[in-house]
Amino acid sequence: MGMMEVSHLTRDYGQGKGIFDLSFSIAPGEVFGFLGPNGAGKTTTIRHLMGFLRPHEGSCTINGMDCRKDAARIQKNLGYIPGEIAFFGDMDGWAYLSFLQKYRGMSGGNRMMELIARFEVNPKGKIKKMSKGMKQKIGIVAAFMHDPAILILDEPTSGLDPLMQGRFVELIQEEKAAGKTILMSSHMFEEVERTCDRIGIIRSGKLVALDSASALGAKHRKRYTVTLATSQEASDFATAFGGEQNRLNPCQVTLTQKQTLEDIFLHYYAEEDKP
Amino acid sequence: MNLTLYRKELKGSWKLLVIFAAILTMYISMIISMYDPEMADALKQFEELMPELMAAVGMVGGQDTLMGFMTSYLYGMILLVFPMVYIIIRANGLIAKYVDQGSMAALLAAPVKRSRVAFTQWMVLVTGIVLLAAYSTALEWFVSEGMFPGELELRQLLQVNGGLLCLHLFIGGFCFLCSCLFSEAKLSLTFGAGIPVLMYILQMLANMGGKLEKIKYATFFTLFQAEGLAAGEDQAFLFAGILLLAALVCSVAGILVFRSKDLHL
Repeated sequence: MGMMEVSHLTRDYGQGKGIFDLSFSIAPGEVFGFLGPNGAGKTTTIRHLMGFLRPHEGSCTINGMDCRKDAARIQKNLGYIPGEIAFFGDMDGWAYLSFLQKYRGMSGGNRMMELIARFEVNPKGKIKKMSKGMKQKIGIVAAFMHDPAILILDEPTSGLDPLMQGRFVELIQEEKAAGKTILMSSHMFEEVERTCDRIGIIRSGKLVALDSASALGAKHRKRYTVTLATSQEASDFATAFGGEQNRLNPCQVTLTQKQTLEDIFLHYYAEEDKP
Repeated sequence: MNLTLYRKELKGSWKLLVIFAAILTMYISMIISMYDPEMADALKQFEELMPELMAAVGMVGGQDTLMGFMTSYLYGMILLVFPMVYIIIRANGLIAKYVDQGSMAALLAAPVKRSRVAFTQWMVLVTGIVLLAAYSTALEWFVSEGMFPGELELRQLLQVNGGLLCLHLFIGGFCFLCSCLFSEAKLSLTFGAGIPVLMYILQMLANMGGKLEKIKYATFFTLFQAEGLAAGEDQAFLFAGILLLAALVCSVAGILVFRSKDLHL
């Protein structure tokens, strides 16, 4: 059984909005990329996993516990970055982090200081007045500081500069090496490619693809066959463009175009209007 | 109860509490000082000048004792309305505002049960209400003793303020329930503030007497009977008990609602 188990999860908001019969499972130690266009239902799914919403149908569990009923127990070992982080009124950055630490019943703060240094966070001053990136970094520190075994990250790098995005990818890779189970929604292709074992793509509340990044790539490989005048020309062509000469018909060369993950996403994202 | 959250929220209540305590200090000491026979004439003149308005806010004279004087000039408006405003602001801020803003996510993304979060916030609200009531009581007692030694009976004061506390706890419970029910601060305020204010307006109309007196059956403020409490009437105590019970029901309902509601955080 998976660490996170979503089975036949349905929440109908009417007018085709919501999520419908969503099922997937994330194995312990796996990093799962959760992708889809805006409004596809990623955040709704995450809200169910966090126990904020009650499923209309189906269920979701984390580590065998019901996400709604056992929310408090699950949260002991879970870190969460919301899609839109909101802070309390005019709280100071330090005050916020130390409040969360005490609120969670944590004692030590080593990991917090480590994360603060790593992301060059300056928690001094009112959070309200901080830049979007700095707020996001505070959210990252808050989600990782208790060293949880499970992470649910809703667009964790939004607002971060490329340098910090890179550091975040490193952090995820380290967490992965440490055996953490991670669900991460994202629009950053590179980040997903570099961290995720498997990718689930959701569109209009339904899961449309679920596989490893490489398998998704293989599925969407484009092949072109070019016929040339002579087999010599075909051979030269094959060498020049990295194609493969057809053994039965030496005048033909087959070229395989590898698609980037970005192309694949766009393929799934753009199908929206097809009947 | 989560003590860390409780402390943080008390800190958040502090400024507001001080402001309301200051307002109450000003009014309570001013009104009590008017018990002075000479000053009382000024109040009588007001009554003659605008009898309806003075009656609406419960300020009707003809009281010989200091307690009687206080019931008509303090417990008709000042000690009802100012704590009520505090309660409305705070109740809305403790749950609905966080849900609306999204910061509730931080409180629930932690190993703390929803019912515990709600209970803690309720405790914060109750703490504020009790502090305001205790402060008013102490102030009334010391100002009275300072200006008119021996005029105020402590037992009467405690009876009236005990009833007042029940009324405020009920308003608190109701506003808290609204705060738990609605996920938008705007709606929580519309009902949490709207209904108590409407009830108070009805109370004012009922106070004006005549045909309007029947309106008193439509407002919960009728359940607070300052004179009856001072006199130790059974009915007044019974009414206070009803308010306390209703406060409890509203508060428990609020916590249960919050525990099971869908949150779009």
